[in-house]
Amino acid sequence: MDFDFSSEQYMFRESIRGFLEESYDLKKVSALMAGEGRDPRLWSKLAELGCFSMLVPEEHGGLGLSFVDLALVIEEFGRALVPAPVVETIVSTDAVARFGTEAQKAQLLPSIAEGKLTMVPAIAEAEAGFSPDDIAMTAEVAGNGWSVSGRKILVPHAKTADVLLVATRFGTDGKLGLVLCEPSRSGVSLRRHEAFDPAGRFYEVSFDRVRIVRDEILGGDPSGRSVERLLDASGAAAAMLMTGVAGKMLDRSIDYAAQRIQFDKPIGSFQAIKHKCADMAVAIEASQSAAYYAAWALAEEAPELTKAVSIAKSFCGDTARQVCNEGIQIHGGIGFTWELGLHLYLRRAKVLEYSYGDAAYHRERVLASALAEIQRRA
Amino acid sequence: MDFAYSAEDLKFRDDLRRWLTANLPAGWGRTVFEPKDEDERARFRLDWEKKLFKGGWNGIAWPKQYGGRGATLIEQGIFAEEMARARAPEGLNIIGRNLTGSTLLHHGTEAQKQRFLPKILSGEEVWCQGFSEPNAGSDLASVKCQAARDGDHFVVNGQKIWTSFAQYAQWCILLARTDPSLPKHKGISFLLVDMKTPGITIRPLRQISGESEFNESFFDDVRVPAQNLVGELNGGWKIAMTTLAYERGPEDALGRQIRFKLELDQLLETASTLKRGGKAAIDDPVLRQKLAKSVVEIELMRLNCLRSFSKSLKGEPPGPSASMLKLYWSHVTQSMYETALETLGPLAPLGEGDSLSPADGRFQLSFLQSRAFTIYSGSSEIQRNIIAERVLGLPK
Ligand SMILES: Cc1cc2nc3c(=O)[nH]c(=O)nc-3n(C[C@H](O)[C@H](O)[C@H](O)COP(=O)(O)OP(=O)(O)OC[C@H]3O[C@@H](n4cnc5c(N)ncnc54)[C@H](O)[C@@H]3O)c2cc1C
Repeated sequence: MDFDFSSEQYMFRESIRGFLEESYDLKKVSALMAGEGRDPRLWSKLAELGCFSMLVPEEHGGLGLSFVDLALVIEEFGRALVPAPVVETIVSTDAVARFGTEAQKAQLLPSIAEGKLTMVPAIAEAEAGFSPDDIAMTAEVAGNGWSVSGRKILVPHAKTADVLLVATRFGTDGKLGLVLCEPSRSGVSLRRHEAFDPAGRFYEVSFDRVRIVRDEILGGDPSGRSVERLLDASGAAAAMLMTGVAGKMLDRSIDYAAQRIQFDKPIGSFQAIKHKCADMAVAIEASQSAAYYAAWALAEEAPELTKAVSIAKSFCGDTARQVCNEGIQIHGGIGFTWELGLHLYLRRAKVLEYSYGDAAYHRERVLASALAEIQRRA
Repeated sequence: MDFAYSAEDLKFRDDLRRWLTANLPAGWGRTVFEPKDEDERARFRLDWEKKLFKGGWNGIAWPKQYGGRGATLIEQGIFAEEMARARAPEGLNIIGRNLTGSTLLHHGTEAQKQRFLPKILSGEEVWCQGFSEPNAGSDLASVKCQAARDGDHFVVNGQKIWTSFAQYAQWCILLARTDPSLPKHKGISFLLVDMKTPGITIRPLRQISGESEFNESFFDDVRVPAQNLVGELNGGWKIAMTTLAYERGPEDALGRQIRFKLELDQLLETASTLKRGGKAAIDDPVLRQKLAKSVVEIELMRLNCLRSFSKSLKGEPPGPSASMLKLYWSHVTQSMYETALETLGPLAPLGEGDSLSPADGRFQLSFLQSRAFTIYSGSSEIQRNIIAERVLGLPK
């Protein structure tokens, strides 16, 4: 029993943080607002550091590690505003490694490990809530395969991704499953969203009778569990990212408060500012407890996985909201400028807050599991 | 990171479970509860603590030679979880165990440890904490209560206030000024005072809950043997900081988490059975969100403690980060009790003893008690100052 990371895990975080601080600053983030928003150098460096091979099993050329090894890394990605589809590819890797057929794993995992393949989940739909029950996209039996129709929204980097992991229903019984489909497939069309986070690249992806065969269903057969796992892993990863965003926002606020002088004193000596910072720090500390525990639950497929993920997604979302808002407040007028870039943290946090289930959705899941526990005991 | 328990840990857990099943009163936590009367309740809690001791389960973290069982931090975590699962009662000698004991283990002489520690665990000697004074609360270093040296004794004169459990205590950890000429942090000493010594008067104070757990304590020429000085003369401030670190740290918080988790479970059960306009209260979506928020926050209180334990296992000393734990739990639990009253809704204004009051008014009582959480052990404002200045490095 040990709720802490190993010294190797902390060391790895240091090297990721060192690299990102040195070569991926806010100017770089801003530069990604033009064009397709991808930074090939960043991608290849992260691959070199091993980020994409961590979840790939050793027999497929990876490191065979787990979300526990990734938790601090993903938190760093949040701090540095590392763009999609880095984390999306990592989370998709988990789904492929756990649910893919041998052929799918052999085909995809080695390329992911080498940093040569990007993969993104396509789950959200315009008229759905946050529950997978709401997914309406359908694959109908057509010849010896399936024909997929429907529309996904907010698919990050759909245009440049190699593979989309599309959540859909199958046939008349409506079983959920994931389909592996490249965005260039005939019948797939893309429209770039106007996005709240200008450094993000999100697409609406429409499927018009797109033909797929059985080998393109993740695992060979529809599996509701694969969709749930993908959502849980995505939600937990979002919690880790939001914790990183919040941590960075607090650090910047503390630095600024220590140096900005008003009334002949640093504003950080005023209790109104100090106390905000203390509350932010406490919220971040608890967010880390939540996010790290969710990482462990994912790694172990613990019985309390759903609850752990929902605790993390709701609490870390609330924290990121509080810390980003207060961080801007602490900076005063300059905090409101585009130039300073604090809005980039705010916007990233907001996108994450409403991805893979917002706080209210996840609290409902937490309550359901708490009530079930009580009933089991009675 | 590894939440799995070793074979020894599991054996520890099973032994404890068996012991709890055999020793808790029949129907405990379902139909049988603590006595309502305060004095009876204090006796009940002390009896429970004595029973724990006889079973070898009190102060498990302490070294064996002082009556503990040298339990690891992990076993302490298991202990807390199992007590929660069994809805076990609280003890009475919380100050003795968490504050006096921990402080003496760090700073006491061997003779002091041997004299005082075993009797804390056996329940023979209950302790209280004489730190706060009418004019020294948040600014604790300005205590005025005097201890003047007279041969091999100190003679104590002054007043303490908010002294919890003084009416049940045999001993007191006392902060007193031993040199008024020195700067305020440097003239304080840490004394162990026998509450039976002539010259001590205890006056209970009625709290907002109607209970009288805390007291005023007056010291009039109270003679304290010099051997009851802990650490160095005028070196009491540093020692008091150890006491406060334990008061705010995971050992204390994990124990409390048990009680909050129990009350939260009780609240969820109440919400499930309480009728409100033809439906159960739990079916109200707004209330569900608030209850869920408390489930999240109370669970994170436990995880915060476990992380903090894991850090101490690696040798990180207890320090200002304990303030983060305390600030967190005091606020999330206050909001849980607000939600408890919202759960009762139209029945919330009923008091203890009314036949219609759900759970016999325990939530109303707990709500009132919860107002103290952000005041004692250092108010929230003080915790925020500590966090901002000593953890985050903001300027004074
Ligand atoms: C139920 C209960 C049990 C207690 N048990 C014990 C006990 O057993 N032994 C014991 O020694 N003490 C005990 N206390 C006392 C407790 O530790 C003090 O009440 C506490 O430290 C606050 O001191 P005070 O009451 O003098 O308030 P004050 O210090 O006067 O504070 C009043 C208000 O001013 C704020 N304030 C003060 N200084 C600052 C500052 N620098 N910056 C910002 N705000 C500030 C405080 O946060 C508070 O809101 C108990 C208190 C309670 C409520």
